[in-house]
Formats: sequence, structure tokens, C-alpha cells
Amino acid sequence: MNTAQNNKLSQALRLDQCAKGAQVRVVNLIEQPLFGAQDERVSLRLKELGFLPGAPLKVIGFGFLGADPLAVQVNGTKFALRRAEAAKICVEPIITDR
Amino acid sequence: MSAIPIRLALVGNPNCGKTSLFNRLTGARAKVANYPGVTVERRSGMVTELDNPAELLDLPGTYSLFVTSPDEQVARDVILGAQQGERRPDLLVAVVDACNLRLGLRLVMELRSLNRPMVLALNQMDEARRRGVSINTAALSQAIGIPIIETVAVNSHGVSELRKVLDGYAQQPPLPSGEQALALSDRQESVEALYDQIESLMRQHVIQPAELPRWQDRLDSLVMHPVLGLVVLFATLLVIFQAVFAWATPLVDLIDGAFIALGEGVAGVLPDGILKDFLVDGLIAGVGGVLVFLPQILILFFFILVLEDTGYLTRAAFLLDRPMRGLGLSGRSFIPMLSSFACAVPGIMATRTIADPRERFITIMVAPLMTCSARLPVYALIIAAFIPQQTVWGIFNLQGLTLFVLYFAGVASAALIAWIMRRRTAREEFPLLLELPSYRWPMAYHLLMGLRERAWIFLRRVGTIILALSIVLWFLATFPGAPEGATQPAIDYSFAGQLGHFMQPLFAPLGFNWQMCIALIPAMGAREVAVSALATVYAVGEESIDAALGATLAASWSLPVAYAYLAWFVYAPQCISTIAVVKRETNSARATTFFTVYLFALAYFAAWATYQIASAIVN
Repeated sequence: MNTAQNNKLSQALRLDQCAKGAQVRVVNLIEQPLFGAQDERVSLRLKELGFLPGAPLKVIGFGFLGADPLAVQVNGTKFALRRAEAAKICVEPIITDR
Repeated sequence: MSAIPIRLALVGNPNCGKTSLFNRLTGARAKVANYPGVTVERRSGMVTELDNPAELLDLPGTYSLFVTSPDEQVARDVILGAQQGERRPDLLVAVVDACNLRLGLRLVMELRSLNRPMVLALNQMDEARRRGVSINTAALSQAIGIPIIETVAVNSHGVSELRKVLDGYAQQPPLPSGEQALALSDRQESVEALYDQIESLMRQHVIQPAELPRWQDRLDSLVMHPVLGLVVLFATLLVIFQAVFAWATPLVDLIDGAFIALGEGVAGVLPDGILKDFLVDGLIAGVGGVLVFLPQILILFFFILVLEDTGYLTRAAFLLDRPMRGLGLSGRSFIPMLSSFACAVPGIMATRTIADPRERFITIMVAPLMTCSARLPVYALIIAAFIPQQTVWGIFNLQGLTLFVLYFAGVASAALIAWIMRRRTAREEFPLLLELPSYRWPMAYHLLMGLRERAWIFLRRVGTIILALSIVLWFLATFPGAPEGATQPAIDYSFAGQLGHFMQPLFAPLGFNWQMCIALIPAMGAREVAVSALATVYAVGEESIDAALGATLAASWSLPVAYAYLAWFVYAPQCISTIAVVKRETNSARATTFFTVYLFALAYFAAWATYQIASAIVN
């Protein structure tokens, strides 16, 4: 993945910026410098759990006093993610008819 | 019939029901609950009711063969045959939660690429149907190229069919053909390719996708609420400790009364002499003193089992992740810590689900500060003897509240110590990534099995180690007898009396008398023995056969001493089995020594401080 693309993506909406109840779709996963050498493994695990481009997500809620972590539903399964992980996930809102 | 039994291995995502199936197939009673990571080690058993012998392995759950934590590593090593001294399984029994098809199929497809013989158990089909899922199993089976059997492990539905299939394989062991090594290259791309494949499988063979019941989301919006969720959590914990005292009292009194009557009955029938002393002071006082706490232990476990079976535990872990992170821990440490309230040994083993080695180490070090159920008798005895039975602030039972404070003291100390031990330098933290399973009504079967198991463990401890230590202690407290013309009570001349008097100066700053010192030694074997040891020492020492140990203690200990003794038990003498499991899980003599020394030092200091402060206040 080249850096120019990364810079462009990092300006997009990220999962950690979404509000509770938001319904979004994964656009891509980006690098998280915080994870250092682990970053690739984290990306891999996120993808294995279903956080793949195109996957619909729903933000269920936030943890302790509204900060970290956040709970997300993907493919009918709920996961707890920390903000640092959620910041790896670029999303776009889903426009629902409801 | 083949000479060597075929080896089968259950593999699948965490919390998909592998252990339930294992129990059904082998007749085992391994622990089952509704959170990921209940099983952290491999376990094996022979499949029952088969014509051909088959050994079944139950493995920890994993999302992928590209593992991130020690428990997943166990699963991967066994599957790939990398485990030392273990034959690779001949057949993989992949278990997939039908409510969570995508995630399960992903692992199946990954395993499929190894080209190893495999069957698929599509588990929790009842729940999936209730959620409106409809799967064309036959077509799916054909598309993936492996047999699929629908099962409901919790009520044995479809299990006999699975058995039949396994028997077929056992009769004619599958021959591995053209298997593939695990390819690491292009992982990121292959994940996406695999999911594309799964998408198309789902489109073709899954007629109706799962819909999570609305009430589950409503419940989550309450219990995972940033503020209300914490209120729910603390209210739940408070109710548990209240119940341990309030509900148990009638039963405790009943058992206590029975043992007093038994003691008096035996004393009335037998002639005076050594046999009577042994039965009344050694056996009945010692064993009865511990056995009365069975109702309290069962009530505590009832609540723990309910919490485990509903799926609530992971929500609590979610809420507490942030505050625990400040301590160098995370939500992942929560479940091992909570298990330690039952016993530190399974708690420390449950730390295998923690990916970060440093976090795992800290969790192991502080897990024994969670008050294990073996300490409950000690707390309960002293609280009942020294804390009046009264209601405070309208609704709280003062004894229950004191118990809550003692448990809380352990938790707060664990937090403090974890905070001191956390690595100060910035580090690459490994993410949380915790699955929150869907809620489930606790199953009566699981609760009854769990309670039976706990009652059995407790009774076995009473019948073996506690009984044995009581007998040894009675012997030590009785022999040698007092010499001619003795001025002191006879027990002062016994081995136990001498040992107690020898130890006492060391514990004098803590206010402990020699009887208390004696009780500390067998408590290293099992903490409940502190109670039976006190019962024996006081029963031998006194002329009366009043079995009400609490009353004896209340008469002979001052309040500061009682508090100091409680403080000692909050921190220390970890039992031998805890030290052994720390040694095994850390695999380091240094870490084990550190663990032992720091807890003893802490116990000594806490008891000393408690005694000094309480004495200053009382005087």
C-alpha cells in the first residue's frame, strides 16, 4: 500500500469517529503507527473477523463513561474494539430508507 | 477394528460449542459457558457408543490458524501436528455456530486449504432456526466438499448422527492425500479471496440470513451503557455478596446445629478417653467447622454460573476495559480475574487468552488477590463472630457489607499492584478485539451440573485434605500430654502448642496468638483448613465441647486481632496449588519466587497495619 493513498484515506471518515447507532460500510483498512510491527497482524485479524471493504457495520455503543472501547456489529456478530483499532477502519455512511 | 484408535479433533471459533459437543460425545463434564475462551488447553476423551475406538480432542477456539494468543497457539499446534509427542489428528471435526456462519465458515475454508480429512458440525441449529436462518445444508456440503451434520449440542440433537459419521471414519481411517502446507504469503489478499468465496456460498445456500432478536440489542443498550451499565454491574456484585450471607444463614444454622448435636450425641454415648476426644475434637469439630460453609459457596457459584452462562461477562469486560487499561491490563484480563473468585488456579490458566505477554504476567501476579471461594469460610467465620447481624442504611446487611468490603480490598489491592507493575515505557499495545456473544437464557442443566461439580469439589476437599489435616492437627495438639505437675493447660505442652509458641513472637506485632499461628500452616494446603484448625485447637484446649467456634473466637480474640487476621487472609498464604500453577504458566522460578515473597510480605504488612490502626482506634 503506498503512502499517497494512505494520506488520502486517513482524511476519510474513520470508525472511531462515528456516533453510537451509526450504520456504515467499510471502505478500507489503513495503517495505525501505534501498533508498530504488530500492525499487519492487527489488520489481518480485523479482516479475518469480517472487517473487509464493503462489510456493513453498526456502532452499538461505547465503553467506560463513553470513552473506550467501542462495540461494533459486523455480519451479525458483536465485537469490542479499542479506538486505536477502530481508527484503522475507514468507513462511509450507509443511507438507509428507514 | 483398528489397533490404534483414530484421532479426531474439534476445531472452531471461540464459543461455538466445541466443548458442549465434546461433553455429549465423550460423556465428559468439561466446563461450558457463554463467553469466548472457556477452554484454554487441549483435552481428550474416548467417544462413547462407537463400534470402533476413537479418541476425541477438544481444543481452545480460534478465529484463524494465524494465531495471536497462547490458547489459540495450542489449537494451531495440535491441528498442524506441531505439538511435541502428539500424533496429528486423523480427522478434523470443524464446529461452526450456525448463528455466526460467516466467521465459522472462514476458518473452515482456511482449514480446507490444508486438504486434510474433515467433517463439519453445524451447531446451535435450534437457535439459528429461531432467528429465521434457513440453510440448504446438502448443497452447502456439496459446494465445500465435506460432510455437514446439523447439531444442537446443548440438547444432544443430531449428536447421534454425528456419532454415526465419526464411527464410519473410525472404521476406515481416512488417508491423507496431497495435503498442503500452510502458506503465509499473500495473507491479506487471501483473506479477501476467502471471504468472496464465502459470500457466494452464503448467497447460494443460505436462504434466510440470521436476524438478531431485538431484545438483545435493547439489553445491550442498557448493560453496555457508559453510565447505567456500571450501575448495573456494581448492583449485581452487591446483590451477590448480600445473598451469600442473607440466603445462606438458615442453611448454615441447620448444618451447624446438626454437627453440634452430633458432637454432643457422640460425647454422650462414648466413654471418656482418647477415642472420644479424637472423634469429638478432631473429626467432628474440624470437618463440621468447614462443612457449614457449603451453602455459601454454592450460592456464590450459582451467581457466577448464571453470569457465565448468559453472556454478560464479556459486557462487563467491555465496560471495564478502559479503567483496567490504566493499570496495564485490559478487558481481556477481566474474565481470568473473575474466575479467580472461584479459585485462582483456573483463573491463572484462563490468562492464556491474553495476547500481550506483559499483561498476562501482571494478571497472573494479581489474580490470587481476588478472594477465592476457599477463603470464604475464613471470612464468614470471623465476620459472623465479630460483626453484629444488623441492618444498615435500611437495606444492607452489615455482615454482607463487610464481606463486600473484604472482596473489594482484594480488588483494590490488585489494581494498585498492577499499576505499580505496569510497564512505564511506551509500548506497542496489542488490541482488544473481543467477541461479545449473543445472550442466552442460563440453562438449568449447566447450572445444576456446575453446582454439582462445585459441591463435589468442596466435599472431596473436606473428605480428603481437610479431614487429613484435621486429624494430623488433632494429633499434634493432643500429644505429648502434659507432664506430671503441669501448671499450664495440656495443649501448651503438645507439639502444636510448642510450634505455635515458637512462631508466635514473629507474629506478635500483628497481634496473633499462638492458636492463630498454628492455623496458618495447614492453611497453606487449603485455606479452609484455617477454620478447622482453629476449631480443633480450641476444642482440644477447652474442657467444654461447645462446637460453636464463633462464640469461642469472639470470647478470646480482640476486635483488632480479628481484623488483622482477616487482612492476612485477604493477601496471603496462597495455597500450594496456586504457587504450582504460577510456576507452570510463567515457566520461571524467578517469577514464582517473586510472586510468593511479595504476597507474604504484603500479608504481613497489611495485617500489621490493620492491627496497629485498629488498636489505636479501639483504645
